[in-house]
Amino acid sequence: MNLFNSLTMTAMFILLLPIIMTSTQMYKSSLYPSYVKTTTSYAFAIVMIPALMFIYSGQEAIISNWHWMTVQTLKLSMSFKLDYFSIMFMPVALFVTRSIMEFSIWYMHADPYINRFFKYLLMFLITMIILVTANNLFQLFVGWEGVGIMSFLLIGWWYGRTDANTAALQAVLYNRIGDVGFILAMAWFLTNSNTWEFQQIFATKHESLNTPLMGLLLAATGKSAQFGLHPWLPSAMEGPTPVSALLHSSTMVVAGVFLLIRFHPLMEQSKTAQTLTLCLGAITTLFTAICALTQNDIKKIIAFSTSSQLGLMIVTIGINQPYLAFLHICTHAFFKAMLFMCSGSIIHSLNDEQDIRKMGGLFKSMPFTTTALIVGSLALTGMPFLTGFYSKDLIIETASTSHTNAWALLMTLIATSLTAAYSTRIMFFTLLEQPRFNSLSPINENNPLLINSIKHLLIGSIFAGYLISHNIPPTTTPQTTMPHYLKLIALMATITGFVLALELSLVTKNLKLNPASNMFKFSNLLGYFPTIIHRSLPLANLTMSQKSASTLLDLIWLENVLPKSISYFQMKSSTIVSNQKGLIKLYFLSFMITLTISLLLLNYHE
Amino acid sequence: MSIVYINILLAFVTSLLGLLIYRSHLMSSLLCLEGMMLSLFIMMTVVILNNHFTLASMAPIILLVFAACEAALGLSLLVMVSNTYGTDYVQNLNLLQC
Repeated sequence: MNLFNSLTMTAMFILLLPIIMTSTQMYKSSLYPSYVKTTTSYAFAIVMIPALMFIYSGQEAIISNWHWMTVQTLKLSMSFKLDYFSIMFMPVALFVTRSIMEFSIWYMHADPYINRFFKYLLMFLITMIILVTANNLFQLFVGWEGVGIMSFLLIGWWYGRTDANTAALQAVLYNRIGDVGFILAMAWFLTNSNTWEFQQIFATKHESLNTPLMGLLLAATGKSAQFGLHPWLPSAMEGPTPVSALLHSSTMVVAGVFLLIRFHPLMEQSKTAQTLTLCLGAITTLFTAICALTQNDIKKIIAFSTSSQLGLMIVTIGINQPYLAFLHICTHAFFKAMLFMCSGSIIHSLNDEQDIRKMGGLFKSMPFTTTALIVGSLALTGMPFLTGFYSKDLIIETASTSHTNAWALLMTLIATSLTAAYSTRIMFFTLLEQPRFNSLSPINENNPLLINSIKHLLIGSIFAGYLISHNIPPTTTPQTTMPHYLKLIALMATITGFVLALELSLVTKNLKLNPASNMFKFSNLLGYFPTIIHRSLPLANLTMSQKSASTLLDLIWLENVLPKSISYFQMKSSTIVSNQKGLIKLYFLSFMITLTISLLLLNYHE
Repeated sequence: MSIVYINILLAFVTSLLGLLIYRSHLMSSLLCLEGMMLSLFIMMTVVILNNHFTLASMAPIILLVFAACEAALGLSLLVMVSNTYGTDYVQNLNLLQC
């Protein structure tokens, strides 16, 4: 009887305290942001204790608090599942969120509604924790929808800007399409397993699990921006940089992957679902890496990088390695959030300039940000013994040595080299060469808030991979022997990407600018996917509804078929048939005279 | 025939003459049509009641219904003519064209 359950509940309750305090005076003061930040760091410290208990003894728990209701045979209660995934994810999420909150005190200090911003960030964090600790599908759905709503509110933070509103609406609509899959899975589990609790779902045997797994895959496609439902993620960069760092790189977009990881006992049984997942992830990672190559907005490049890494996580689930995917989620959070924070630092220093063609030469002017950017990019590409290496290299190795779809593997490897290519592009355009920005912007990164937050994530990016992977309980055994070329293939692909991109960047300095080729246009316009889908689908819908409802039902069936056709027909036929002259009095008089004469004749004959 | 029947028959014939001979207003022929219907109704009722022909007691009612319908039809025609020309003079109906 130790403090495992109580400490976890305490940590979650501590996170709720600032939300409860919004009705008091604290919310209106200027101390609220640092209050929220300290709350998050206390919650992190407290939740590390159950995490260390789990690492030491493997103790898991299920906390079932409150029985909400029972609908005939379905019992709905509030229950938290503290197993390997949720216990390891919570400290990582809280650490990253603490750093991002510290960063956003610096970044958003001129915003008059900064208290509300922090409240929204905290609400997002709470719903994310509800999502990862949920023990039944209903609570998971509550967290799912919660992160979706907070994403909407935070992307549209500067709601005076049309693009921000469009992007927020796009995020909500694309997530909604994924929610259809989620509800399909919930309905299937309700009718076939009579429950929404994970334990019972995994314990019962079913014949064909394809329907719920397709539903869950659709949900993951929507939430984690896989190919087909991906345009919302680059558009979501309209939000402030802390929002991009927290939601759209480390925490919210991994919710879809997390869902699939939670259902890994079911995914293991269905080969169809695994193949579909694998191919979907491979397409996503390659497509978004291609799109990232020619973007000019630094946040969009990092957004596409996130999308590509998410595709890699989905590929990992597709080769039946949920624990590796989870490891990649945890390590990816560190360096991706740090990359976003570095880009935020650069943007703020250059007076809100986000186009990399107008940056340059920041290597000497912003040394700390330069260091963080380079370390983050190296960790992202999987440089040996930084954080990304421990998860990404393992994934590529496992994929190369398993019975998998060779095409998907090839796509993943090409995407790995493209990762290095666009990372080189970011570094080349922002840090190297001559400055291309306006010369009067005060480049200042000398704020302790900024430096501390990036420093924490920097230490995390360097050491967290080693620390996490050497302390977790053993899960699936990685492949230990393989030919030496397979062992080195990830590293070779990355180095190829680096060298090629650097050579090309250095060569293009001295060339004349050509008009864009077709491949460039394909990559720059995101494969024409948003342009086509965002116009044609609504047009088809509206045309179909206008044709069927207005034209067919109203105009034709209700107006024309009986009333107007009858009157038209009668008028036409009467004008054709009638050839009278309308001498009514004459006709009546002749009738009367005939009548009189006939009466007289018939009366007075013999 | 008894004098009652001749009286009603005379009323019918007068209305018929009024229907067939009129000078200018279409309305007068419609009024005489109503008179014809009225006299027919009275004639029918008196004959049926005097001969105790109970099975045909429905007939006057039905006659009344149809008379109402035809009066409505006649009035709608009058309104159509009056809408086009402003008056119901018969001289106007020299060109039957819709």
